[in-house]
Amino acid sequence: MPLSVETPHHLKPDWWLRVRHSIAVSRHEPANVIAFILAVCFAYLILAPVISILLDAIFVHSGDAGRTHQDEGAFTLYYLTRAFMSRMSQIILWTPLYNTLAIALGTVACSLTLGVTLAWLINRTNMAGRRWFASALIVPFMLPSWTFAMAWTTIFKNRTIGGQPGWLEALGFHTPNWLAYGFFPIVVILILHYTPLVILIVGNALTRLDVQMEDCARILGAPRRTIAFSIILPLVRPALMSAALLIFADCIGEFAVPYILGLPVNYDTLSTGLYRSLDSRQNGVAAVLAAVIMIIGVITLLIDMHMMREARRFVTVGGKGNMDRQTSLGKFRVIAASIPMAFMLIAMVIPLITLFLSTIMTLPGRFTLSNFTFDYWIGHHLTTVALRNGILFTPEFWQATWNTIFIVGIASLCSGILGLLVGYAVTRCSFRGVSGFLRHITFMPYLVPGIAFAAAFLSLFAVARGPIPALYGTPILLIIALIAEKMPFASRSGIAAMTQLGKEPEEAARIAGASWFTRMRKIIVPIQAGPLATGILLPFISGIKGVSLFIILAVPSTDVLTTYSLRLLDYNYDQAANAVVFMIALIAWFGTLLIQRISGTHLAQGLES
Amino acid sequence: MPTIELKNLTKTYGKNTTPAVNDVTITIADGEFMCLLGPSGCGKTTILRMIAGIEHASSGEIVLGGSVVDSVNKSHFTPPEQRQIGLVFQNYALWPHMTVERNVDFGLRIQKIPAEERHARCQDVMEKLRIAEYANRYPSQLSGGQQQRVALARMLAVNPGILLLDEPLSNLDATLRLEMRAELRRIHETFGTTIVFVSHDQWEAMTLANTIAVMNKGTLQQIGTPDEIYATPQNRFVAEFIGNPKINMIELSKATNSLDKVADHILARLPECAHADTCCIRPEEIVLSDVPHSHTLPMTIENIMPTGGSWVIELSYGSSRLFHSTQQRPYWRVQEQVNAFLPAQALHFFDQHHQRLIIDTPQDESLKRLKQPNQFGSNHTFEPNHPLTQPVNHRV
Repeated sequence: MPLSVETPHHLKPDWWLRVRHSIAVSRHEPANVIAFILAVCFAYLILAPVISILLDAIFVHSGDAGRTHQDEGAFTLYYLTRAFMSRMSQIILWTPLYNTLAIALGTVACSLTLGVTLAWLINRTNMAGRRWFASALIVPFMLPSWTFAMAWTTIFKNRTIGGQPGWLEALGFHTPNWLAYGFFPIVVILILHYTPLVILIVGNALTRLDVQMEDCARILGAPRRTIAFSIILPLVRPALMSAALLIFADCIGEFAVPYILGLPVNYDTLSTGLYRSLDSRQNGVAAVLAAVIMIIGVITLLIDMHMMREARRFVTVGGKGNMDRQTSLGKFRVIAASIPMAFMLIAMVIPLITLFLSTIMTLPGRFTLSNFTFDYWIGHHLTTVALRNGILFTPEFWQATWNTIFIVGIASLCSGILGLLVGYAVTRCSFRGVSGFLRHITFMPYLVPGIAFAAAFLSLFAVARGPIPALYGTPILLIIALIAEKMPFASRSGIAAMTQLGKEPEEAARIAGASWFTRMRKIIVPIQAGPLATGILLPFISGIKGVSLFIILAVPSTDVLTTYSLRLLDYNYDQAANAVVFMIALIAWFGTLLIQRISGTHLAQGLES
Repeated sequence: MPTIELKNLTKTYGKNTTPAVNDVTITIADGEFMCLLGPSGCGKTTILRMIAGIEHASSGEIVLGGSVVDSVNKSHFTPPEQRQIGLVFQNYALWPHMTVERNVDFGLRIQKIPAEERHARCQDVMEKLRIAEYANRYPSQLSGGQQQRVALARMLAVNPGILLLDEPLSNLDATLRLEMRAELRRIHETFGTTIVFVSHDQWEAMTLANTIAVMNKGTLQQIGTPDEIYATPQNRFVAEFIGNPKINMIELSKATNSLDKVADHILARLPECAHADTCCIRPEEIVLSDVPHSHTLPMTIENIMPTGGSWVIELSYGSSRLFHSTQQRPYWRVQEQVNAFLPAQALHFFDQHHQRLIIDTPQDESLKRLKQPNQFGSNHTFEPNHPLTQPVNHRV
């Protein structure tokens, strides 16, 4: 055999040869083309709206020339000054900002306390019925948060605002304003909504802890308290932090709950303030508010990323022994179960029953048999001004249902497929920069709360720009806005699925001589069918519940169920509105159960990624 | 059947990093059964993936069967789907959503072979690899060995001229390894395929391949038959990498401060090797005896380790340590004194660049007269009456 040990002369081709060769190689790698196309698409669908809204904050809008004493389109600090330093800024910005932060922090603190307690009871004690509670306590998270808000108004509404009174008022109890509207009910409802999330995330972390770590401390003679505070708590802390930041970010952008419970008494948060500014054609101020929400979102995410990096240092969690060790509660076993039971009652049973009863009662709060009727569901020729038929016989309701399924369905189908494609492109693309850009840009909508994102879309697509016609009022606008909004989840799950799959199944197909389309059709898509189904269905469920995008972008012809119910509420058709909300809640609930059945995954896994 | 030519092949990942594969030139002849052998991270799998076309070269050229498939200078790249080769991945990469049969006939479907012929060929190869009975199972229902046979069948079904295997025996248990080894040999003979496989396990390489290319840190160290590689290592890395237990390395340059008594002994005995940097000897080449001689070293037995049918004996002389291995059950006890003889022919010398030095050492005088092979299968012959050959390991 020839020996070629001597290898002195290096044939270093110059950069031009290398580039030409790289091109020759990439010609056979369609992932590069896909990555480029996706990057351009998302630059337009995600980056452009965000930039456009930021620019809106510093350029004079049409109609504002008089106020700003500047020409339309000129650079101005008017909106910023007005929001931050004028006589109005207390009303426009500072009070809403204070309210928003108060709501978010209050919600985080209380839902963490409650959630950790419940997670501990479920995962670490022998409380009666723990298995059942483990799945039942998650339900409030599947329901839209404003379902609770509707139920709350049904019970506690008082004379401050017009329309039908609340049940308590009708029964003769006067409910004070602080109980009926504003800070207190908003925080209570958000706590009820987000506590299940804490239970999921912290519970998962608790069960994944290696029991040997606890055993080791016990062998060294540590008392139970020390184990809890110096072993378990520090190890669960990353999960706690990530739950806290997730809830905080969601609360900042929360729109529907303060819209229902805050607006009647002028209790503004940033998102409702943004909505009011848009409604009163103050787009410049709206842009400033949107920017403020985005900045809070970015800061939250940066903290989260920092925390995750810290947390990664001790991700040794997970070993052979999972922590199915229980503290015996002794005779408190059954009494302890009253805590989750009470939570279940307040967070699920009472709101849903209230909602349902409210739809079959002519006058609220009067519990006599003659007062009950199914007219609001299936009645004909009612004596009301409009909406003279029961909701199930109202064409608008079915139109809205169809719109919802059509718009949300197409959007979630697209975002599921796009998410998988993003995953494919990110893991396969040979240009690091492009795949990094793609990964970051698809995550960007997460930073931008829905209401700000909707405002951004409105600002960009309301008028015709270049080849793109004005899309306002068309379902297309809603669809692409929804796709963009759902991309963070879709792309994350797509990337995770493709990373987990690895390159080898596809490489094996290449070796066997399969072309790109054959590889996609026969290998990638069939293997990824499960993740793809989840990637389509989860956005569908959250899209049905969503309010903030629709309330700004939808017009009567593109009404979806959520905006339809809010419109009914505005016109004081409370029973009908609640009936629609009840339907949405049921769809969301059963839809989630369906996903779990199909994909076999627990909701918690999807939420943590 | 095609040959594989690698010309000055280099692969660099990113910038400013040491190349994963550095200027490797190998010609693999038609019908050869070659192993790329080296420690993990030496670039052997990268070479395999470049031949397959899953990676591309950073410089240099790959020629398969006379046609250039990857060349930086010619700006040419043939994608793997057009190279008509077979590659069996280390973890098999079976398609989990397809049955065994669908996995195997995938390549034939791509080639649009008519159903009857496809079925026949698929059946044939599955029978040859004894997986026909699992045709309708899914990969997750198969054991590791069965999965590997499916992965192999999947590639053999299309009858590629070149078959590349990534660590073909590494994931198998001992029985399956032997079985698979025979299987691969048989495939090589019946299909006449050129086979290149990658391994970090010298047993795998020695028992399977006709030719071994030893690699380290991206560069080619030596190519040769298993015997050549073992008997005449071209550099220190090859000497140390091949052989189990490891070869005894004696640093001669250290000898000046008289730390290593074995080195002193060798230098005193063979002054010709003064310019060598290191010297080594395979454990089985050391000869132990009870009787001292002018060319033996008095050593103490530190440890006797049975390794199932053979024994490894650790010897010490001052601070020097040597390992001896033998097929004969040793009768010494730990801490007993023995005399070790290091035959001059069995010594390998390397210079300060770790390259092999050819030193014309005088034949050991005691050995010149010896003709007949000794009864223990060693290559060295001894005079029957010579004290060295006396009872070696056979005192009653």
